[in-house]
Amino acid sequence: MINFTPEEKRVILFLLIIAFCGITLNNLAKLNYRVKKLFCPQVYLARIDLNKISLEELIKIRCLPVKTSQRIIAYRLQHGNFSSLEALKEIRGIGDQRYEKLKDIFFVE
Amino acid sequence: MKRLPFSLAIFYCLGIILVSSIKISFWFVLGSGVITFAAACLSFRNNRIFMVLVFLLAFILGGLNLKNSYIRHNCHINNFVRYKDNTIYNLSGFIDSDPEIKGKHTFFVFRTQGVQVDKLMWRCCGKVLVRMDFPQDLNYADNLILRGILLRPYGFSPGSRSYRDYLSRQGIYLVMPIKNSLQIIPQLNKGGSRLIIFSLWLRSRMEQVIKRYLADLPAGILSAMVLGQRRAIPWLVNNYMVKSGTVHILVVSGFNVGIVAFIVNLLLKIMRVRRKLRIILTIICLLIYCLITGASNPVIRATVMGVVFLLAHLLKRDADIYNCLACAALFILGLNPRQLFDVGFQLSFSSVLAIIYLYPKIKSFLCLDNCKAKALKFIYEGCLVSLCAWFGTMWIIAYNFRIVAPVTVLANILVVPLATLITLCGFSLVLCGSFSTFLGGVFSTTTAMLITLLLNINSAVIKIPFAYFYF
Repeated sequence: MINFTPEEKRVILFLLIIAFCGITLNNLAKLNYRVKKLFCPQVYLARIDLNKISLEELIKIRCLPVKTSQRIIAYRLQHGNFSSLEALKEIRGIGDQRYEKLKDIFFVE
Repeated sequence: MKRLPFSLAIFYCLGIILVSSIKISFWFVLGSGVITFAAACLSFRNNRIFMVLVFLLAFILGGLNLKNSYIRHNCHINNFVRYKDNTIYNLSGFIDSDPEIKGKHTFFVFRTQGVQVDKLMWRCCGKVLVRMDFPQDLNYADNLILRGILLRPYGFSPGSRSYRDYLSRQGIYLVMPIKNSLQIIPQLNKGGSRLIIFSLWLRSRMEQVIKRYLADLPAGILSAMVLGQRRAIPWLVNNYMVKSGTVHILVVSGFNVGIVAFIVNLLLKIMRVRRKLRIILTIICLLIYCLITGASNPVIRATVMGVVFLLAHLLKRDADIYNCLACAALFILGLNPRQLFDVGFQLSFSSVLAIIYLYPKIKSFLCLDNCKAKALKFIYEGCLVSLCAWFGTMWIIAYNFRIVAPVTVLANILVVPLATLITLCGFSLVLCGSFSTFLGGVFSTTTAMLITLLLNINSAVIKIPFAYFYF
């Protein structure tokens, strides 16, 4: 017989619990689509909706200078919601390099 | 003296700090070292004087090592480059890092072996940071000839926080921008270390397993927590974690190394491997894991501490945690004394030092051992560890990043146990997913759920009023 320490027994039990949870969740996800939201992170956790963010929030996240943030909000107010991220290139202060960075931060629904 | 390595490490660090802040000749420091060494040999019988001279020697050695690190070889590539020059250089050598693709750019460190300029060829040494304006499929140890201009990196910020100083601490003094693929001429043979090639291959296989079973976002976070690969973490997630003071969970450190040691030991125990061989194999696995995760300062610190503990266990001796920490510090600073000024090094060691020094003192002050409810005691101890780590690191974070996050303690109490579970699940996923699709799917579901929960908690925590502030 193998002599497991109490910590090793706890880890083995933990791994078995994880396996059971995983099988249960998999089954539940097949029966009910809403359960899938539990293990699929929503897009807003990793990116910001360009059409919903306010000027204060845009300044607070500190990914852009204040004037550029103001221009983005002004553009949105003037032209309506952004239809795609490509429209950011039309704003003064957002060149190709900055656009590549902003592509990973914002999304357009 | 019980903590001799710890005392020596302190004097060694003080020597580095003093020599970095004053202008002093290398030969003067060397001369002082020789005289001190001679005096130590002569005062062998007098214990007190001998110990004082040994500490002085450690002090001088730190300064000497730092002075030596500033001196470059005669054949260093930096000596071939003229200031503000547009000469085209042909550099031959091999890729000395895992190439990183960031958007449309590719970055890697190039170890030079030869340089050709104006139809003349010389042997040279040293590293150059290569920045390509297009994504390119390159691997560690690829032999190349690069053609282009060599520039000195920009400073951006003054003092030791500048980008130029950050690169110089890694031995990089020049940058080569590559605009098109005609500037790269691949060669047939490979350079580099076979062990690192094997470690990177292993890492890529593990990353493939993670990407096979998880969506992009959870896969990126798990790759960071288990393999030290932070390239796929979205900017916003990193930003939120910096604000909540929980970004350390995305860095491979002591906890991950502990888990690897534990899992390897457990598997070998199940396979009925004998104790001594088990410990030796665990040490080997820790060293390979250190290479897989990129051998950053926290990982090296944790690996050296883990190896010292395991060796103590093997030799049936007690391991002192201060001495283990000192061995790790001396190992890192012995190889590169300028790491003392690296923020990662400072944060890694100050957090551990704060925990091991403050935690027992505050615990006995609050009489936590008298608490009979196990669950409550567990929560108090968790809070205390977070508080000690926060206290040890907040000054460095405030000075370097100008942010103070009072919500750190609360965020860590919630996030760190989750990160523990995620790391355990992650390792299980990588191990089982390599052999069985069913087991991989089972572990991936739970892992994804825990990662989603972690992200939700993190984004909620920073919305608390006065959670963080910049100054």
